[in-house]
Amino acid sequence: MDTLLDIRNLSLEFRTPRGRVKALREISFPIRKGRTIGIVGESGSGKSTILWAILGLLASNAKVTSGEIMFEDRNLLALSESGLQAVRGEEISVVFQDPMTSQIPVLTYARQMFDILYRRPGMSAAEKRRHAVEMMQKVGIADPESRIDQYPHHFSGGMRQRAGIAMALLTGPKLLLADEPTTALDVTLEAQIIHLLQELKSELDTTVVVVSHNLGLIAELCDEVVVMYAGEVVEVGEVRQIFHDPRHPYTRALLECDPARIEKASRRLPVILGDIPDLAKPQTGCIYATRCQRAMPICRTDAPPVVGLTVSRFAKCHLLAGPHHDPQWPPPPDVLTVPMGESVAAPRTVGRAQGELLNVTNLNVQFQIMGPVSAWMRGITRRHVDAVLDVSLSVRPGETVGLVGESGSGKTTLGRTILNLVPAQNGSVTFENREIRNMAERHFKPLRRDMAMMFQDPVGSLSPRKSVRALIVEPILIHGIDCPDLDAEAERLADLVRLPRPLLARYPHELSGGQARRVGVARALALNPKLIIADEPTAGLDVSVQGEILNLMADLQAEHGLGYLIITHNLPVVRHISDRLAIMYLGRIVEHGPADEIFRNPAHPYTKALVEGVPNPDPDRRRTHVSISGEVPSLLRRPQGCDFVTRCPYAQDRCRIEKPPHSRITPDHDHACFFPLR
Amino acid sequence: MYIYLLKRLGLAVAVIGAVILVLFSLLHLIPGDPATIALGPRATPETIARYAAKMHLDDPIWKQLLVYAGNALTGDLGLDVFSERPVTAMIGERLGFTLALVFAGMGWAALLGIPLGCLSAIKPNSWVDRLTGILSVGAIAVPSFLVSIWALLIFAVQLRWLPAIGAGEPGDFSDQVVHLVLPAFAVGLGWVGYLARMVRASMLEVMGETYIRSARAFGLRPRKIVFGYALRVAILPTITLIGMGFGGLVSAAVFAEIIFSRPGIGKLIFDSVMSRNFPVVQGAVLVATALYIFVVLISDLVIAWLDPRVRESL
Repeated sequence: MDTLLDIRNLSLEFRTPRGRVKALREISFPIRKGRTIGIVGESGSGKSTILWAILGLLASNAKVTSGEIMFEDRNLLALSESGLQAVRGEEISVVFQDPMTSQIPVLTYARQMFDILYRRPGMSAAEKRRHAVEMMQKVGIADPESRIDQYPHHFSGGMRQRAGIAMALLTGPKLLLADEPTTALDVTLEAQIIHLLQELKSELDTTVVVVSHNLGLIAELCDEVVVMYAGEVVEVGEVRQIFHDPRHPYTRALLECDPARIEKASRRLPVILGDIPDLAKPQTGCIYATRCQRAMPICRTDAPPVVGLTVSRFAKCHLLAGPHHDPQWPPPPDVLTVPMGESVAAPRTVGRAQGELLNVTNLNVQFQIMGPVSAWMRGITRRHVDAVLDVSLSVRPGETVGLVGESGSGKTTLGRTILNLVPAQNGSVTFENREIRNMAERHFKPLRRDMAMMFQDPVGSLSPRKSVRALIVEPILIHGIDCPDLDAEAERLADLVRLPRPLLARYPHELSGGQARRVGVARALALNPKLIIADEPTAGLDVSVQGEILNLMADLQAEHGLGYLIITHNLPVVRHISDRLAIMYLGRIVEHGPADEIFRNPAHPYTKALVEGVPNPDPDRRRTHVSISGEVPSLLRRPQGCDFVTRCPYAQDRCRIEKPPHSRITPDHDHACFFPLR
Repeated sequence: MYIYLLKRLGLAVAVIGAVILVLFSLLHLIPGDPATIALGPRATPETIARYAAKMHLDDPIWKQLLVYAGNALTGDLGLDVFSERPVTAMIGERLGFTLALVFAGMGWAALLGIPLGCLSAIKPNSWVDRLTGILSVGAIAVPSFLVSIWALLIFAVQLRWLPAIGAGEPGDFSDQVVHLVLPAFAVGLGWVGYLARMVRASMLEVMGETYIRSARAFGLRPRKIVFGYALRVAILPTITLIGMGFGGLVSAAVFAEIIFSRPGIGKLIFDSVMSRNFPVVQGAVLVATALYIFVVLISDLVIAWLDPRVRESL
């Protein structure tokens, strides 16, 4: 088979104030024509840097120190800027990570696509437009003839990514690069985009490179996989070889940590201990040695041998060959090679039957969308939308409740309303049997000690000008609590969340994602709360690190009997740590019950779609269909009848007229569907 | 869109109403009788009484206010105390000169400042950028009356390239243009600096956006990316600044008009204040305010025209 792109011995460094960061070290792998290659790795692995190196769009402080990137017979690294410009978009094109920010907001799609076709002097304007319309049609945009004249903000998230794919394929490139193409999208849309890429791949005969941290996406889409760690390729192979017979300890660990692969419900998740090494410092031996459970003395001194049969199937590890070859490695698939965290969770002594910590009953939150004058002039009588609609929910001490929904489901609004940050229109919120809804802040403030929030963006929610030490004790100062030794308190909290004490002197931007999360947990714990509301506690974290945070939260719960309300869109993660799940759609809870039961046997079609939407990290279990189509409608256009009716594959006439009430399957499992799936 | 326009026009009327109220109260808040103030200390009691009766100063204040507001809205701004000519006509004669000065000043500032800002942003920290930065800050820092005086001394007195005073012969267009050069230069110089800095800052921000990287990844030409994509977004805040700058320039024009002895609203206000010709001051300030509101509205509409997101939120 012909090689389309050949990366040979590529090394690259970034010049930073901290020194030269060796972001890529001696990368070599071929990309064969017509194949789909997945580059998988965690943040800092250098996977995206490879893409930008191929395109010649590296940051200005980057310098290629060795190697070449052969595209057909040209070395892309040796091409002039104008030579590269001719290749970009024409022969090599890109699908970007976030369609919300990667398309210019002030130009129509027609204009943007027209601009991409500027190198086609033989095409008339009408031909270019017809070609663009055809491409929009091909990626599944209904009514492309008129929608092509719209701007990106007229398109919903999923449609924007479809348009992004249409733009990338417009010129019929030989190589398509996809940089985390579904990371910014919700689960049900992710499934649709994966499906679209699968279809286009077989239809257009393009070579595709997919860069992602999402093992499920890679398993569903790719033929071959390149596993990267800290700037090096550690293993390369066919997709089945990588997922079913991984050789490198890192590949193995990565697969074991993926919550979507863990079948049996367990409160704890496996983790890869330690942090990615500092690439500004010189590295000797195996790059993974500091975190590897099987590390031997030789791993820290000698570079591992490249063990493999061909250029397209190899792994770099001392365990596989040489004097330290271990014939027992790798162990059978059901043996765990990574630890389940540092400590064993104490048995959950705090009784769950002690009554309710938090109780939300029929809560409604409305947002006003226009002023009275505008509404009157437009003849609109309803000036508000229902962000939260008749929601009832409870959290008991020592219990974890997962609140799951896609963006726009109102889950974050619900969390903020409970914390009295957003006023509610009616309904009731009680905390320890005390009504707290819309309580005046001066009465509510003492209660804030008992209810803490973990914010979604760990770094963004920390003041950049305060040290970690100051940030951790900040809640104590805000509440004016008498604390004789703040330093000792900061150290106690840091120990509690297993944050190394030297980090107390640092500032938020100097922390890794996992460390910043730990600071967030420490802040939430500073006042000894009874309830913690965690908004996407693992968003933006690598799989190896998210287990650590969730295990930490589980340990703290076992120790202190905390109640958790975890707001998330990540169903596989929340499944393992929750006692109960509530699924939200358009501001309503559509299903509510024991986590494992909901996951195994969903009653509501939307829950089923969410469960099935998660791509399975197993190339033998690729989906052949998408469970639901369409996207979450705007709150302004709440459907008559059931909220989910516009996307439900099982919808009947009755669903279009009446709103289904909540009905119970068992005393603690209810749903809002006329025709439940069980 | 129409609702938005109606809202803005309603707001404009309210602002003008408030300005009328303030101007009117100022006159009455100044200690003493308006007629005495208007006519000066040497006026005889008879003149004052005659004046008060003619100007309806005997009427209750609210009635005077309503009459003035009503007249102002129909275009009657009262009479000059000395010449007894209608204020509206006096302003009308001079408005054109001020507008020409302000447009010319802002025009050349935009034509020079915006490209300079772009150039600096494309190659940050290059010598072009550094030089532009130094010159911009310098241009912003020097007061415009100083620029006027130096420009006058160098180009008109020393080099004798351009005329020093006046606005040129009526009807002779090229003569008027030649007379406009120095004042426009003086009025606009600071704005070259402002605009260059502003455009540089917003261009740098936009050039870092993901969609610019997308455009590069699609292989678009660098010139297309800078002017067709980045500038289209980066220019939006600059337009707001220019809109507000017009308002500021109407008052900055006072210096230029005095120094170059040009007729214009600024000079009219200055002269009227000096001679306590209050109806003229009132009228001229009112017209300047209305002008300001109008230009800001226009700049908002231009932004709406350029940015579909703003256009649709109207």
